[in-house]
Amino acid sequence: MALRLLETILRRLLSVLLVLFVLSLMIFTLARIVPGDPARMVLGPSATQEQVAELRTEMGLDQPILTQYVTYVGKAVHGDLGQSIVTNRPVSRDIAEFLPATLELVLVTIIIVLLIAVPLGVLTARHRNTWIDNVGRFFSLVGVTIPSFLFAVGLQLVAANFFPSWPILGRVDYQLNAPDGPTGLLLIDSLMSGRMDVFADASQHILFPALALAMSGIGQITRITRSAMIENQRRDHALTLRSFGVPEKVVTFKYLLKLSSVAPLTIMGLEFASMIGNAFVVEMVFGWGGFASYGLTAILQKDLNALMAVVLISGLFFIFANLVIDIVVGLIDPRLRLRGGTA
Amino acid sequence: MKRLLDVQNLNISFSGYGRTQQVLHDISFCVNEGEQVSLIGETGSGKSVTAKAILGTLPANATIDSGSIGFEGMDLFNLSKPDRERLKGTAFSIIMQDPLSSFNPVFRIGTHLDDVMRHADRRQGIPDSAKGRKSRIFETLRKVQLSDPERIFNAWPFELSGGMRQRVLIALALLHQPQLLIADEPGTALDVTTQYEILRLIKSLVVEDGLSLLMITHNLGVVRQTADRVLVMQHGHMVEQGPLQRVFSAPESDYTKSLMAAVPPLYGPNVTNQPVSDKAPIITLTDVQKIYKKRGLFTQGEGHLAVDGINITVNEGEIFGLAGESGSGKTTVARMIMDLLEPTSGTVTVSGTPSENALRLSQIVYQNPGTSLNPKRSVQQILDVPLKHMGYDKPKRRARMEELLTLVRLPVNFLSKYPHELSGGQKQRVAIARALAAEPKIIVLDEPTSALDVSVQRTVMDLLLELRDSLGLTYVIISHDLSLMRNFCSRIAIMFKSRIVEAGTPEEVFRTAKHPYTRALISAIPVISDAEEAQKPTVTDEERSQFLVANTGS
Repeated sequence: MALRLLETILRRLLSVLLVLFVLSLMIFTLARIVPGDPARMVLGPSATQEQVAELRTEMGLDQPILTQYVTYVGKAVHGDLGQSIVTNRPVSRDIAEFLPATLELVLVTIIIVLLIAVPLGVLTARHRNTWIDNVGRFFSLVGVTIPSFLFAVGLQLVAANFFPSWPILGRVDYQLNAPDGPTGLLLIDSLMSGRMDVFADASQHILFPALALAMSGIGQITRITRSAMIENQRRDHALTLRSFGVPEKVVTFKYLLKLSSVAPLTIMGLEFASMIGNAFVVEMVFGWGGFASYGLTAILQKDLNALMAVVLISGLFFIFANLVIDIVVGLIDPRLRLRGGTA
Repeated sequence: MKRLLDVQNLNISFSGYGRTQQVLHDISFCVNEGEQVSLIGETGSGKSVTAKAILGTLPANATIDSGSIGFEGMDLFNLSKPDRERLKGTAFSIIMQDPLSSFNPVFRIGTHLDDVMRHADRRQGIPDSAKGRKSRIFETLRKVQLSDPERIFNAWPFELSGGMRQRVLIALALLHQPQLLIADEPGTALDVTTQYEILRLIKSLVVEDGLSLLMITHNLGVVRQTADRVLVMQHGHMVEQGPLQRVFSAPESDYTKSLMAAVPPLYGPNVTNQPVSDKAPIITLTDVQKIYKKRGLFTQGEGHLAVDGINITVNEGEIFGLAGESGSGKTTVARMIMDLLEPTSGTVTVSGTPSENALRLSQIVYQNPGTSLNPKRSVQQILDVPLKHMGYDKPKRRARMEELLTLVRLPVNFLSKYPHELSGGQKQRVAIARALAAEPKIIVLDEPTSALDVSVQRTVMDLLLELRDSLGLTYVIISHDLSLMRNFCSRIAIMFKSRIVEAGTPEEVFRTAKHPYTRALISAIPVISDAEEAQKPTVTDEERSQFLVANTGS
């Protein structure tokens, strides 16, 4: 068993390298062939041709793209992701500063999705074709179809109108003097240093952005949980337990739920990609100042090094999240873990 | 004798999509204490609904219109819900039919057993400690001849063979020593030798503990082995009931008579011997071996030997039967004949020229027409695919379709029907028509009737025989059902563990089987008369146990 798991992980790591290579080459080339000269963007319209040319040489932009790429990769493997032309700091330092904020947001979002969607899916499956199911269906549809930035703005409006004291911008009240580190995730850091005031404040701050980000995931996962539950509850194995008088609650919440959680978890992994995409917008609306807003600035300002880093790290996270989910699914379903392949 | 179960004038109907359909009509029967009763019926006869009504697991869209079920003098329909629940698994319990799908794949076998026992204990008001339950479960597992209960208890469902899982299902039913055991087609999903063992086990348990048994089955051979009394159901009506001897020797209703007649005989005057063809060989397999390679990152897999040393010659016009149990390699051989697989070594020669427009010589008819026909496509669309490949234009395709349906004895207006509108037998006819569309010379039949009821089985086989004569076809039939092969094949070969262990005409094989496996296989076939039983080859328990090791977990 251990061997199979190790094999899966190794196999996956190999594919990570391949994906990173293709992704980086693509973005590297694309960013350099689209119109707009980064050196000109930095120096502004008043700079002379010579000044621009000098900066281009300094940034290495005058070399062939392949050469530039090789140089970039050579440095990147040693942890040097280059300078950002917007912040004028090493990109790695920027990432270290902005990434935890987004990570925290996405993690809380995932927790919200699972906490709401799975029970809702079970509930609608149990009350299939009743008004409960119809209401659930309606909310799922709303969640999937309405873009997350609209939810973001809508939540801000609700907060502004009905709960004027509820914070709708930023991660935490700056007057609180929040602890800095060690993880960069405010909720965890504040708990670790025993600052319950910061924890409460940060929780308030994160609720609405996470909720806005969670809506589409909730819609999808609810439906998938529902159909998996419905599919499984008329299987022979459910009938077996019922025939022997095992209470319906045990059949549903113990037996069927575990079996039915494989599909939603797998979808959750894919959902992760759109969550990162949506975070770009939601972070802007809530002034979150995370990795996504950093990436958005990088795109708009043609901050090549920052852009590369943002894309590669997003890709890495997507792959990593799916690896984690594969392991979790393997723990749930022994057939995947012990036999390999789908049953 | 005391009455244990007493079903009186039971009427049940199902509603759905605005329609109500009565599925049980005035069903009355009883089971006495210590009696073994068999309930016989084909698909849709209402036998499973009857069982569910007794157990109290009818689906939500079922209505009990009238009637009563008495159990030890209690009226089950008038009991309070907790009282009714209390009986489940303790007063009566069911042996589920399909051992492969009756366990939740993400829970260990022991979890299922323990939950069933724990909740039944609790309803009885006598909770036991986890340790106490475990030892009681182990005891029951030993009782069903699972010699290593610890391993079974901790195993995942997929780690056990079908036979072992079926034994666990029996253990599940015996956890609280119920008085009435309801067995729903036990073992039908398993190989015939395993099924034989399972039936023997159930019978011995019932006799030892003095239980009453209500066996639900469609197999008359099984009935003969296990019943004192027989109930016959058809379309929700009880058409006949009486003692086994009487019903089998002098059936009263026409339906029972037709059921008896449809069972293919193994021995005696009614057996059909198909003539052996002396035409030129059309399929020749010489020293064929097939190894499935495994691919792994660390492990350079040595592969799995699927078939080895296979030599087969099939003459034109022959019906060649390849018998064996699951995993014996018969499907691999069929796929190589179809040219869907390359042999690892040896040669597969299929001689003859395909007819004018046909791409290939052989076509296949699959086991389950319910899954081999696309439910979203009409019969016309299904038949259109091979005909398009033949390069026919539209009017010609239409004409050919009508011709094909006439060949398989279906009315032409079936072209517009969808699979769900057809019965199992009709679906299999469509599948045969589809195979015929490409004008093959050879048809591979992969368990062509195992998904069908006996009476339908007979008509499908008759049709196939006619088609062979009129179209000059050659059949290769793969099956585990030797009774079918006895009457249908001109020659058979028995496969066991990747090899052919016995070959010859069915008559020779059934008379003078040499290999103990063949004898075990034949003797395991449930037959419907003592005369046939007496003619089966004998096999010692020692020989039989050679082939059944995997089912007891020792």
